[in-house]
Amino acid sequence: MTSPAIRASGLTLTLGQTEILKGLDLDVAAGETLALLGPSGSGKSSLMALLTGLERASGGTLDVAGADFSALDEDALARARRGRIGIVLQAFHLLPTMTARENVATPLELAGEADAQARAADELAAVGLAHRLDHYPAQLSGGEQQRVAIARALAPRPPLLFADEPTGNLDAATGASIIDLLFERRAATGATLIIITHDPDLARRCARIVTLGDGRIVSDVRS
Amino acid sequence: MSAPDAPSAPLPQAGGVGGGPRTATPARLPWSTAWRLARADLSWRFRGLRLLLACLFLGVGALAAIGTLTGSIERELASRGRAILGGDIGLEVWQRELTPAETSALRALGRVSIGTRLQATATAGAATVPVQLKAVDGNWPLVGTMRLKDGRSVGAPPQGQAWLAEGAAERLGLLPGGRFTIAGQPLTVGGIIADEPDRLGEGFAWGVPVIVRAEFPATAGLTATGAQFRTRARVDFAAPYDPGEAADSLKRRFPTAGFALRTRDNAAPGAESFVERMGEFLVLVGLAALVIAGIGIGLGVASWLEGRRTSIATLKVLGATSGDIARITLLQVTAASFVAILAGLAAGVLATPLLAAALGQLLPVSSGFVFDPRALGVAAIYGLLVALVFTAPPLARARAFPAMALMRARVSSLALPWRHAALPVGLGLAAIVALALATAAQPKVTLGFLGGAAGTLALLGLLGWALRRLAARLPRPRGPLLRTALANLHRPGSQVPALVTALGFGLSAFVLLAAVQTSMSANIAARVPQRAPDFFVLDVPRERAGEFRSAVATAAPGAEVRMVPNLRGAILAYGPPGAMTRVADLPKVADNAWALRGERGLTYSDGVPEGNTLTAGHWWPKNYAGPPLVSVDEKLADAIGLRLGDHLSVSLLGVEREATIASFRRIDWDSMGFNYVLVFSPNMLADAPHNLAATIDLPMGPDGTKHRPPGLLRSLVRAFPAASVVETGPILRDARALLDQISLAILAAAGVAVLAGIAVLIGAIAAARAARIYDTAVLRVLGASRGQVLGVLLGEYGLLALLLALIALPLGSAVAWGIVVHLFGFEWLPDWPRILAVLGAGLVLILGFAAAATLPVLRARPAQVLREL
Repeated sequence: MTSPAIRASGLTLTLGQTEILKGLDLDVAAGETLALLGPSGSGKSSLMALLTGLERASGGTLDVAGADFSALDEDALARARRGRIGIVLQAFHLLPTMTARENVATPLELAGEADAQARAADELAAVGLAHRLDHYPAQLSGGEQQRVAIARALAPRPPLLFADEPTGNLDAATGASIIDLLFERRAATGATLIIITHDPDLARRCARIVTLGDGRIVSDVRS
Repeated sequence: MSAPDAPSAPLPQAGGVGGGPRTATPARLPWSTAWRLARADLSWRFRGLRLLLACLFLGVGALAAIGTLTGSIERELASRGRAILGGDIGLEVWQRELTPAETSALRALGRVSIGTRLQATATAGAATVPVQLKAVDGNWPLVGTMRLKDGRSVGAPPQGQAWLAEGAAERLGLLPGGRFTIAGQPLTVGGIIADEPDRLGEGFAWGVPVIVRAEFPATAGLTATGAQFRTRARVDFAAPYDPGEAADSLKRRFPTAGFALRTRDNAAPGAESFVERMGEFLVLVGLAALVIAGIGIGLGVASWLEGRRTSIATLKVLGATSGDIARITLLQVTAASFVAILAGLAAGVLATPLLAAALGQLLPVSSGFVFDPRALGVAAIYGLLVALVFTAPPLARARAFPAMALMRARVSSLALPWRHAALPVGLGLAAIVALALATAAQPKVTLGFLGGAAGTLALLGLLGWALRRLAARLPRPRGPLLRTALANLHRPGSQVPALVTALGFGLSAFVLLAAVQTSMSANIAARVPQRAPDFFVLDVPRERAGEFRSAVATAAPGAEVRMVPNLRGAILAYGPPGAMTRVADLPKVADNAWALRGERGLTYSDGVPEGNTLTAGHWWPKNYAGPPLVSVDEKLADAIGLRLGDHLSVSLLGVEREATIASFRRIDWDSMGFNYVLVFSPNMLADAPHNLAATIDLPMGPDGTKHRPPGLLRSLVRAFPAASVVETGPILRDARALLDQISLAILAAAGVAVLAGIAVLIGAIAAARAARIYDTAVLRVLGASRGQVLGVLLGEYGLLALLLALIALPLGSAVAWGIVVHLFGFEWLPDWPRILAVLGAGLVLILGFAAAATLPVLRARPAQVLREL
């Protein structure tokens, strides 16, 4: 295994009176592909929220791509995400008032990239949307929107790519093509990929499957 | 599916990845990048920000219009002030001419016109008429144009000629070219006066105007030592001096001269304080519009940001910090604000001539476009400050929108927004108060208003909170529709606190404006018209009262005649019985006890005289036959410490008579009419020989104007040669027109403020509507009819509006009472039916907009609505 992209130790998350994550230890190697499985309420999304810096852990230590996430406040976590972490969400969450190109350029602009627009166009071309640069999300199909979301997540060349149920809002055929694209783009960029999914077939495409249950890791299988 | 991917690539360095040129990741988003993102994320049609746009547009527009209008009125009154006074400053001295030093001091300021005023008697054949003689020099008139009936524009009449008021010519039975005498000196009628520019500033005098050359009074021996004449000088400034400073300087230079000085700013003292108060009221109306608009702005931005929750969370997922979000949203709101402010300023500039055109000749503002940089600047600054204060809290909340909202996991609690909002809100409020006070004519009143507005907002906010809590604690109704309606009042995201604040403030403003407007109108209607007769007549013999009425009725059918007994007498003593103070024993009579000096008009009456208000005690019954009673002016009573039950004695034809003080009255001295300091019970004076004073009000013609019957004056003068007939109608009508114009200007300004309130009402309902679309659709899916859903919504809004109306009525009325009684010093005479009608209209408006806002949702098929959500 190469140097770890993620190193989590004794990770806990408590919201209000509810203990959601109960001391997780997880190391993820750089370039690894990992599927997070588990029933609803098992803590998958909460774990992803901690790993992406969208939520702060209540306890434990967390090192993500060389940054100590457990020592950062909310704004520092946001800055730490720039260029480190790309996220693809189930509901795409494109900015509705921006074109496809502007959507993809946004994380680059936030990260201070000088040629954000040109790189966004390249990135969209790489996901097969060179002809849709100036279309608004409402003018794109669900599959196209998710392609834009993938382009947006990968545009800053993050070492870590997270996908939360990326095909949940798509039909089976479109979903399959999106997953192919995701793995294809991951391979091209060499990013570490962590996917949250309920789909065992999709999970099996990853090199490692971690299953959560009641806030703990119940199995960790490498193929 | 392909085989699992194996670990392949080494971990690249964080923040150093990328194919293109790259700068260091900024700790805070540069403004230029923030602006690019803000612009890309902002619809050019400002979708979602339209309530902000509308409210800021109306608020700034109202302020710009009010500022421009006020400026115009002030300038117009200032320019009229010059015309009324006949110059920039004027001075008057009794029984002497100006010294050479005084004259040269005046000439140092600019062009000077010096003349004389005195009462005199004109005779032509058998006709003898009291006249107000006005002697003017070659410089007169310094301001305006003197016009004769024959169309000539003239100055002082030539030697041996006189300009006569129409009344004077009629009473003397003269036409142009006719001859008459004053003090034995012959004069020829050079022309009949059509328009005398400084007539309003001449003040009231018992006599019709006759204008002669400056030298005439001396030639006729009218200004001999001891004669009652006044020398009057007017100065037209050669440079833009401050009139007040110039007057003060003259007083300092000639401390013993006894100058009575007036400036163009107080050319018409009676109306001046009224105008000043009106100006202050306009400012308050503007501030009310601003506060109302502010609520709408806050609502609009909060609603817009709620709609952008996921976009903001997405930006955070992509690496934007709270500070970056604040910059982006601030830029978007600022851009929208600038557009709204610019549009509002343009509307304000455009509104003034439109209002002037709509109000015809009545409005005392210039009919063209008025560009008043100060008014526009103040309006723009107010707009920015209000936008800052009311948008800071929602913007601070937006900073704290969690990125986790995009995911399915639970979200940790939000950071407290007030930490970020407190500074801009505090600074903005301080700046608004400072600006309001800096631009206020009466800072105390403005401060009181701002305090009242803040208190009202706090009260309404508290009420909204309490209402929400109460709704949450009430037992759950059984019916699903009623349950939904009740839940709407307290569920998370409920608009009730905002609605209560906006609607409560809006309805209170409606009540306030209606109460102030109706009270003002009632005051004007109750006083000015009744005491603005067309003619005053003195010395009508008491026994010929009926004959006088008949003469008027014959010459001017339909004319209204009012007659009061008119006697003269001096106050000799006053105070508790047995310990009365003799006026003759007083070492000095205080200024405000002027009624103790010399003889005063006395009268008696069965009832409280028109325009007077009883402030203490009781009026005597009709045909009262007990010990004589008297009603005293409250100001005199205050000045000399009179109490009810004290005695007061007067000399009447050399006989001392005593009466008991039964009541005190408030007299409106600003208006003209029969204002008597002392009014006695009839049994005190009726037996003394005396004459009557009369007023004549001509009937309104079918064309809405008054036509003076040509023979009225002549027949009265011939029938009652001892009586003095004074034509006051034209002078008083001028004053009345001025008041009407100001009243209309206020109404127009208030209309703009009400418009701002209506926009907020619409916005508040629209903001609340968005939260209800889902409920409505679900209820429809579950089988509720459109009528049922509409009924629930209207019932909910109706109950809310009714509750707010019950609060707005006392709240608005209380503030209006303060404005009418304390700011204007008027009587509280609200027209309750009209106020209730305005309030009712407000309620109907709310329900109408609630229904209109709901109808599109009701019309849509539930499935379609749910798909679109």
